[in-house]
Amino acid sequence: MRAQNRPWLLLVLLAPAAALFVLLTMYPLARVFLLSFAASDHGFEGARFVGLENYAELLQGRSFRRAAWNTAFFALVATVAEVLVGLGLALLLDRAFAFRRALTLVVLAPYVLSTIVVAAIWRAWFHYDVGFLNNALRAVGLDGVPWLFDPNIALLSIALADVWQNAPFCFLILYAGLRSIPPELYEAARIDGAGAWRRFRDITVPLLTPYLFVAALMRTLDSFKLFDKVYAMTGGGPGNATETLSMHVHRLAFRFFDIGLASAAAVAMILVAGTLGAAYAVQLLRSEAR
Amino acid sequence: MDNDRPAGLVRVISAFLVAALFALPLVWALATSLKPPGEYVSASAALLPREFTLMHYEALADSRVWRLALNSLAVTLGTTALALAAALPAAYALARFDFPHRLDALFLAFVLLVKLTPPIVLAVPLYQVLRTLGLLDTLAGLVLVNQIYAMPFALWMLLGFVRDVPFVYEEAAAIDGAGLARRIVQIVIPILGPGLVATGVLVAIAAWNEFLFAFLFLQSPANFTLPTYVATRINEDETLWGQLSAIGVLASLPILALIGFVHRALSRGFAGGLN
Repeated sequence: MRAQNRPWLLLVLLAPAAALFVLLTMYPLARVFLLSFAASDHGFEGARFVGLENYAELLQGRSFRRAAWNTAFFALVATVAEVLVGLGLALLLDRAFAFRRALTLVVLAPYVLSTIVVAAIWRAWFHYDVGFLNNALRAVGLDGVPWLFDPNIALLSIALADVWQNAPFCFLILYAGLRSIPPELYEAARIDGAGAWRRFRDITVPLLTPYLFVAALMRTLDSFKLFDKVYAMTGGGPGNATETLSMHVHRLAFRFFDIGLASAAAVAMILVAGTLGAAYAVQLLRSEAR
Repeated sequence: MDNDRPAGLVRVISAFLVAALFALPLVWALATSLKPPGEYVSASAALLPREFTLMHYEALADSRVWRLALNSLAVTLGTTALALAAALPAAYALARFDFPHRLDALFLAFVLLVKLTPPIVLAVPLYQVLRTLGLLDTLAGLVLVNQIYAMPFALWMLLGFVRDVPFVYEEAAAIDGAGLARRIVQIVIPILGPGLVATGVLVAIAAWNEFLFAFLFLQSPANFTLPTYVATRINEDETLWGQLSAIGVLASLPILALIGFVHRALSRGFAGGLN
């Protein structure tokens, strides 16, 4: 239909989507970039240009560096754990048996829940005195774990809740990947005498790689934004042990009303996320070109 | 891989155990919503209630939670309607018009840019945008900012579906003199039906669950959505778990009811290539 190339019609059709995109994404991105070079004394009003001052202050601040480290640590741990658990689930359910679809739906359930509901459940589970997990540990004679009170454990506890919620997403992608592998390959390998491990290593892993890649990309980008769970489970504490970059930007902007500094931190986040996204995209295009 | 081969006994048992593990937090929440407080604020690890009570649900019935559920519903329906209304014409244009090949790459870059932009980064300028438009602390404002993620997602989903609608029907209608609007309404949308519903359901679930923008841009408690309300209740009393679980169950039931649908929609998406 390709005869339909009437430019004005095209514009009319694209206009609503384009307007939303410009108003809600492009304009705010440009604005946050400009604000990152400005300082103001009263919140949003009266900004004046201060050059790179905000960035300098940011990089010297311990709390920003701590938030950056926490975010990177969380993104790495959660992504790896979620892809591995998702892979385990996909391999486990990749055989025919009764109730397989029912079990699939049960496993998928956490993924569709509101993150705040997930946080509410796990915060209760992690309660030191009367939480379900510590009750269960003590019932078998073990000590309770300070899940959310110990600065060395708290972020891992949040990651545990995140794995419960998001590993099912990786599972769905990887399960679709497994189904895309032609069964004849396994048949042929079996006839040639390849054992289960050889078949996994030489057929499943290489053919699943693009799917593993996409699952890891999606989870990395998502866990990099982590806000809701931390806000609802620890508020960033103890101390700033679970403060993420999103929490940090939020605190700077909406608690301290330091819009310039918050914008600089936001731009830093975009740069890191953009680099991650670009690195993944390049890898993906490369693996597809092969 | 060996998807259709029968599973061995060990595998079946492991699958049931793992599924039980995944179900456990939800079972706990449901059970807790039916327990009197003395049972869940205790050292007992017992999952099931010894004594059933509906007190937490009765307390909800008297509270303003219902108003807030209506807020959530309004935001969900508004977000979904606006996302589909803006994305469908755009998807049609991108699928049907001749574009330079570069555009596909550009579109992918656009989807990726939206996907990787953390919502908190946009929050400061958006606060000003909403204030300028007079939409701060309104459900309409939340419907608008939800489009940041809802509209591109809908566009990306619908693009695939529109490409699957055979062009021959439209060509025939065009010969009979049907204009573009008529062809979209009478031919494309009916054929697109299932895809439109699948897209709408996924957008609706995300809108129902959305927290950050609701938390930042809705200030008066009467305007809260369910997630923002749950978040405030979490911090009020550390062990108000019966109440909290009851709200959580109510907020989760509508989306859990759609889970079979979600499973099919997502599986189809992932199976059809990974773009």
